[in-house]
Amino acid sequence: MPAPAATALRDALLADREQALTRLYRRAFPLVRRYMGGHGGTDQDAQDVFQDALVVLYEQAVGGTLVLTASASTYLVGIARNLWHHEQRRRARLPHEALPDDADPLAALAAEESDDAIEPTFAVLDYVARLGEKCRNVLLAFYYFQQPLTQIAEANGYRSVRSATVQKFKCLERLRNSVRAAFHSEVLYR
Amino acid sequence: MRPELERLQLIEQQILNTPAALSAEDWTVRLLVDGELAADAETQQQLYHGLRLAGRQQLRQELRQIHAQLYGGWRAWLRRIWPM
Repeated sequence: MPAPAATALRDALLADREQALTRLYRRAFPLVRRYMGGHGGTDQDAQDVFQDALVVLYEQAVGGTLVLTASASTYLVGIARNLWHHEQRRRARLPHEALPDDADPLAALAAEESDDAIEPTFAVLDYVARLGEKCRNVLLAFYYFQQPLTQIAEANGYRSVRSATVQKFKCLERLRNSVRAAFHSEVLYR
Repeated sequence: MRPELERLQLIEQQILNTPAALSAEDWTVRLLVDGELAADAETQQQLYHGLRLAGRQQLRQELRQIHAQLYGGWRAWLRRIWPM
């Protein structure tokens, strides 16, 4: 069970993500920038690594797997140090390859997947981008940001949790149908 | 809900292992009697992975905006002439 500090952080992130992330950013980024500056990183490196660390923290916090034995800022610095060491080793191996945008989350995702599963995942990403704004918001709020359906219903003007649930599945169905149609036509014309 | 949406819900409960998920035995029986269920579940799993990736991209975008608010504009200029 997550400790009270992790639960409080989770609640804060779910209640007002922008405010909670801004507070974490203001407290922890200067520490990471100072560390990175002393260990061969640029300001841009510090920004990239810190944002990756925040993504990791967010997913652990809302997923209920975060265990905080120190402050969230200290934890973020620890994640950032690990990510930076990892990146330095990668650059030593591949000195001429630039780091692509969002490389760490993509690499983490890829590591969880077999090679066969990666291509459909990226295709789905494309179709998520083509969904209407409301559907995209509902799906991401529920499946990624892990907001409760009560909050999603309120934010999107649904009368009840039941209505929000039905809408969520309609949006998921729309996404699935788009992906299926694309794969079907790809197979037909291959 | 329409039967098609209920099917999505049934698969979701299994994939996300919610409290309403069927037992492993019951799910196996469903897979045996419903020839399309396994393929549908695989497709739905791909949707969740794609949504996770899309969520990460959105979160990164939000973090870039927070960074710009905190350190962009005159703060960036100040930092260039007076590194901290």
